[in-house]
Amino acid sequence: MSRTPSLNLLVLAFLLSVAAVSGCSDSAFNTSFVYSAGTLDLMPEAQNGTKDIDGVKALLDKRFGDPQHLEAWLKMPVDFGGTMTTVGEMTTAENGIPVVKLDVEEGKSLPEKAGSIQFVSGACAGETVEISGWNAETGEATLAVVPSQSVASGDICFVDGGTVIQSGRVLYMRHCSHCHGTSGDGNGPTARYLTPKPRDYRNGVFKFTSTNDMSKAAREDVLRVVKYGIPGTYMPSFLLMTDEEHHAIVEYVRFLTLRGEFERKLVAELSSDYSKAALDSRLKDEKKADILKELNEFLADDLKESANSLGDELAEIWATSDSEGALVVPSITRIPDSSESRRRGRELYLSKALNCADCHGIDGAGNGPQTIAFEKNPTTSELYNEPGLHDVWDNLNQPRNLQLGMYRGGRRPIDLFRRIHAGIKGSRMPSFKNTPHEDIWNIVNYILSVPFETEPGGTGIAPSAAAAATVTAPPAN
Amino acid sequence: MKKFWALFFFFWPTVAIYACLIAPSRGWWFPGPPMSRTGVQIDGLFYLILIIVTITFVGTQYALGYVLWKGATKEPGSKAVFSHGSHKLEIMWTIVPSFVLVFISLSQLDVLAEIRVISSFPKDAGKPATKVAEVMARQFEWRIRYPKPGTELTTEPSPEDLYYVNELHVPTGKPVVINLRTQDVQHAFFAPQLRVKQDAVPGLVIPVWFDIKEVGEYDLVCAELCGWGHFKMKARIVAQSQGSVDKYLKQLEAEQNEDGTKAESAEE
Repeated sequence: MSRTPSLNLLVLAFLLSVAAVSGCSDSAFNTSFVYSAGTLDLMPEAQNGTKDIDGVKALLDKRFGDPQHLEAWLKMPVDFGGTMTTVGEMTTAENGIPVVKLDVEEGKSLPEKAGSIQFVSGACAGETVEISGWNAETGEATLAVVPSQSVASGDICFVDGGTVIQSGRVLYMRHCSHCHGTSGDGNGPTARYLTPKPRDYRNGVFKFTSTNDMSKAAREDVLRVVKYGIPGTYMPSFLLMTDEEHHAIVEYVRFLTLRGEFERKLVAELSSDYSKAALDSRLKDEKKADILKELNEFLADDLKESANSLGDELAEIWATSDSEGALVVPSITRIPDSSESRRRGRELYLSKALNCADCHGIDGAGNGPQTIAFEKNPTTSELYNEPGLHDVWDNLNQPRNLQLGMYRGGRRPIDLFRRIHAGIKGSRMPSFKNTPHEDIWNIVNYILSVPFETEPGGTGIAPSAAAAATVTAPPAN
Repeated sequence: MKKFWALFFFFWPTVAIYACLIAPSRGWWFPGPPMSRTGVQIDGLFYLILIIVTITFVGTQYALGYVLWKGATKEPGSKAVFSHGSHKLEIMWTIVPSFVLVFISLSQLDVLAEIRVISSFPKDAGKPATKVAEVMARQFEWRIRYPKPGTELTTEPSPEDLYYVNELHVPTGKPVVINLRTQDVQHAFFAPQLRVKQDAVPGLVIPVWFDIKEVGEYDLVCAELCGWGHFKMKARIVAQSQGSVDKYLKQLEAEQNEDGTKAESAEE
């Protein structure tokens, strides 16, 4: 029995396993953000620009980066993490080790521990340098390496900049991306098996908010969903994470939302003249070279400038949505639950003015006439293929079955009040902000009693003539 | 060569026993001491079976190694022993194990009955143990429904029930019962530190009781593969004094009735 064949086999097995494992390099785990359908519908030159002129993709990437290297656009109302400081003075000790003294704004304090400095302005802008020694009282940081360029007094830098958003990215990729996608487009690998579909953040629309109908979602709303989940959907609760982890995830979700919204705004500037469809129709009368020249001028002069003001618009609406002024606060405390209040609520529910039964059904089972009517897509003005109500992501939505007692946006009376007052953004549930708050409370009391009615419509009100099936115009959002 | 194999089959069982002996000191053992009354009984049964099985293991592995060694060190060319088997041996090694197994199955009957048979659930000061909550397992979280303080838990939701998710508050020092249900697929209610485990089956309402000795936070994990999120389907069991549980439920009630105005919310 010769030993060589079995030795060869062993060596072969070893080499094969080495080869199999060697594919697992760091870059094997890189991910990238996707571009929206709107961007990909533009003519290629608008998407990519030229060597010297930024197209849509470059304008977006420069401000938001890619998952491996996120960019912090400080204008955005996102807590990127870290403390902003200015360089007071940079000295070099005898052994060549550089020491930077940092000044911080009035009223702010330096963190107790620090790991790195990110230079934002000056010759070293964009560089991250590790800190080997840190004195929080004096603000002196001993750097681990010498910066590649000279650091001048007055340069702006961040201490531990980006820590929140980076930790948010790691947590998001681990816990959220398989449904919500790397870019927050609601199209992760799991999404194809889910109904309802995971939220696509890129419209900037969140359904279950505490803000009025004209505002975006507040931080608190996203936080509530992350902490308590959405019953009746596949969104689970992440209650067991720490507060820091919750905060990091919420900030990263806001980051992805703002990226998506900024992309939409850029595309909106270009799509009417430079989309692929527009190009095709323009080519009938114009020459390609002329169109290209026009595009490049627009990109180089107009879009570059307006990108910043688009950012300002976004920053403002999202910051105001987070303020107290945007909250929906009832002007009266809740009317105590009583059979009288429920009867009044039922009356309002069936009334022609509010027309709740049109979608939610006479008995609240979510089977009103609107669920079998064909409605028009407000953006394309064409009828949807299937009957029923759709949301802004073109998914089919069932009006809530009130008999189940499962309320996705929260079951507190204030939650139901807000659903009625501000509507559910992105869906066909309209805002009833002009309805007196007294009436809304009566409806809330009625709704909370529906799951416990002994018979459907058991409040004893005879239904008035049912609303005729109409194709309703979607609410102005 | 033959001696090598004999020693090989002697070696690994020895390593296994050594690993079991050093396991507790290295933390490769139970997740902490049993923190509930049933837990103590279950750990006792576990050790009983462990001892029986260890003795059997040592015996059989020694016999195997002995036989191999004898065969390895035989004189080459010696004649084989013609054995027609031993009837006595065969009877012995059938009867003794069956006695052992029957012993094991009988000695665990009372613990099993206490855990699984509703009429054997422990009483709390002469009355049946309180049903504190309904735990509805769902992909991939635990939805908790408490009855309104002062009322009894109903099998189906009542108008004034209190709801929460992934955190269950129970009083210590007395047996409490939860109704285990599932909203979609099979899950399992597993509290490792309490040694409580019960599958949640769609369509069934299964009462699960436990009696937690000490105040603290305990893990609740899912122990039945239920989908891609099974590995992270975790919750907290917070065991507090009855007074703290009552306070918590009052606070939950207040939050659940929030009407968004700064004034005290109108209670029903």
